[in-house]
Amino acid sequence: MNLHGFVLLSSLLFCMGIYAVLARRNLIGMLIGVELMLNAASLSFMAFNRFTAPDPVIGQVVVLFVIGLAAAEAAIALSIILAVYRSRRSIDVEDVTELVG
Amino acid sequence: MDTATLTFVSTFAPLAAFALGLVVFRRQPTLAAGVALLGALTSLVGTLLLYQRGPIPTPLLTRFVSTESVELSFGFVLDGPNLLMGVLVAAIAFLIQVYSLGYMASDPGKARYFSLLAFFTWSMLSFVYAANLLQMFVFWELVGLASFLLIGFWYEKPSAVAAAKKAFVMTRIGDVGLFVGIVVLLQTTQTLDISRIVAPNTIASIPPDRLTLIGLLLFCGVVGKSAQFPLHTWLPDAMEGPTPVSALLHSATMVAAGVFLFAKFQPLLVASTDVTTVVLAVAVFTAVLASTIAMVSRDIKKVLAYSSISQLGFMLVGLAAGSLYAGLFHLTTHAFFKALLFLCAGSYIHHVGSNDMVAIGRAGARSMRITTLGLIVGGSALAGIPPLAGFFSKETILARLADHGPPALLAGAYLAAFLTAYYTFRMMFLVTRPNPNGKLQPEHTTAGHGHGHDDAAHGTDAPWVMLVPILILVVPSLAAGLFGDTIGARLGFSVDAHPPVVEMLPAVGVTLFGVVLAWFEYGRTGASQLGFVNKLPALHRLFVHKWYLDDLYARSFGLLVNAVSRVAHLFDTRGIDGFTDGIGRQTIAYGHVTAAAQAGRLQLYVGTAVLLMTAFCLFLASA
Repeated sequence: MNLHGFVLLSSLLFCMGIYAVLARRNLIGMLIGVELMLNAASLSFMAFNRFTAPDPVIGQVVVLFVIGLAAAEAAIALSIILAVYRSRRSIDVEDVTELVG
Repeated sequence: MDTATLTFVSTFAPLAAFALGLVVFRRQPTLAAGVALLGALTSLVGTLLLYQRGPIPTPLLTRFVSTESVELSFGFVLDGPNLLMGVLVAAIAFLIQVYSLGYMASDPGKARYFSLLAFFTWSMLSFVYAANLLQMFVFWELVGLASFLLIGFWYEKPSAVAAAKKAFVMTRIGDVGLFVGIVVLLQTTQTLDISRIVAPNTIASIPPDRLTLIGLLLFCGVVGKSAQFPLHTWLPDAMEGPTPVSALLHSATMVAAGVFLFAKFQPLLVASTDVTTVVLAVAVFTAVLASTIAMVSRDIKKVLAYSSISQLGFMLVGLAAGSLYAGLFHLTTHAFFKALLFLCAGSYIHHVGSNDMVAIGRAGARSMRITTLGLIVGGSALAGIPPLAGFFSKETILARLADHGPPALLAGAYLAAFLTAYYTFRMMFLVTRPNPNGKLQPEHTTAGHGHGHDDAAHGTDAPWVMLVPILILVVPSLAAGLFGDTIGARLGFSVDAHPPVVEMLPAVGVTLFGVVLAWFEYGRTGASQLGFVNKLPALHRLFVHKWYLDDLYARSFGLLVNAVSRVAHLFDTRGIDGFTDGIGRQTIAYGHVTAAAQAGRLQLYVGTAVLLMTAFCLFLASA
């Protein structure tokens, strides 16, 4: 395994995440897409850290930080989704258009 | 109390009454009226005490502004004319406020009415005692404001509002001239102190051209205020106000202000022969013009209004012919009998509910004994029947004019005196000797009487509170002429010597001819009630239409002003409004365009963000 393989894999994951966020109508699906993008980013951090950085710790610190953020983000996003579901019995993103200009 | 304090108290008591009445007692009209009466009484007592102390030659001054070239001192002057005028203003204002207690008893705006009367009294008294031309001008304008407010007192009537506006605008035209005159005067003499301006050496130091210019400009203000031709048209319309207001406006305040200003600057104004000629011509012409309109009018208040204009012309003739005494003597006697006549007219109108003299006569005005007595005394005094008040003062003026004026003007003045006697007795005969077979039928003009009318509440005459002022005013109208010389000498006027009886005869003759003619046409049993002008239809039409002056002004100046204001309005709505509105409209339109992007579609936003981010990354990579 070399750096190219990891970067390719993480780009693939990132693009899948973007696609999920853009294409899914379901809020849970979009949340999964966001998580995929975060993990793709974490993966590329680890890869670059492993193959290029002289200090082995810094990449791992950033990744741990991202995982922590992702957990918090998931908790908040899920609670928003629950609140949306309670108020309108649907988690379709097309239904939530109150903030139209 | 020292003199300065006394002057201050008697001047400012009505102002205090005005403030109290309008601010504190707005909801208690009776209290407001009481306070106003108290203020007027204080002024009356104060001015009488000042009169008792006699004229003081040096003015009481406080420095107001002082620069290198100009020094402005405000204060009071207590010379002869001022003391006389002060007593006159305070006395008439007090009597009219008493009368108003009856006339305006049930008016909803009573508190406002009495407060405004007090304000009027304050402005006029301050104007009279002013020591400085600028100070005089301030109160001159306040007098104008007070009459504007009182003429338009019944502001729910469109005609009253129009009349108030007309009075304000017409007098303002004259005031522009007056103000320019003040500026030129200040530039020429470096002072606005009245006693210094009219000092002989100051007048001698002004170049003749300048003197004429200043004189004519000051006369502009007098023309506006004292309703002389060509600015006289506001005064008859001012009848829209309550009748006691007309009485005040026509006797001691407002129109008297113009004559009084002339009297104060008389040495300056008669120093130029050009100014004297113009003033004499305008005044005599006005006296004749107003008399001709009065003799065909049927509205009792209109007759009195035109007679005021005509008598103001007489006063100016006296002053311009060089006699301060003659002008102010006539001003004083006229104030008494004209106030009396207006109060009588108000009493009839209050009782009958119509302004039409024929209707008043038919409604049995004769049975109102005391009012009719007032009308007869006041009318005779106005006509100049010897030995009533008007006779002496008019005689003095005519004698003065005979000595100093051209014969054509003297003839005009005699014509005006004849017409005065004629229209006055026409009015008296129409009211007191109604003739059901006459040619004149009563027409029910809407009375200038805005308040509710309860016929059942009236007795055979007006209430006593209205009759007492009438009775009090009868006394000076009868006798004031006899005391003219005594009072004049006490106040330090140079009293004119009375002309010999032979010279009085033509004036008495034309007066009696006017009375006899009026008796023949209107008074005798079976009179035709057609005036001699009816035989000349063209002339009659001219007089009835007030010499077409109102129409002329409406056609010429009215159209011009309307055209200019229409252009200005167009520029305002299209130009200025259009520009600012356009900016607003464009902003809103642009807002609508950008608002379309705010569709609430989350994925559209994210997609845009991704695209931009990608573009940015590609840009960075290529750089």
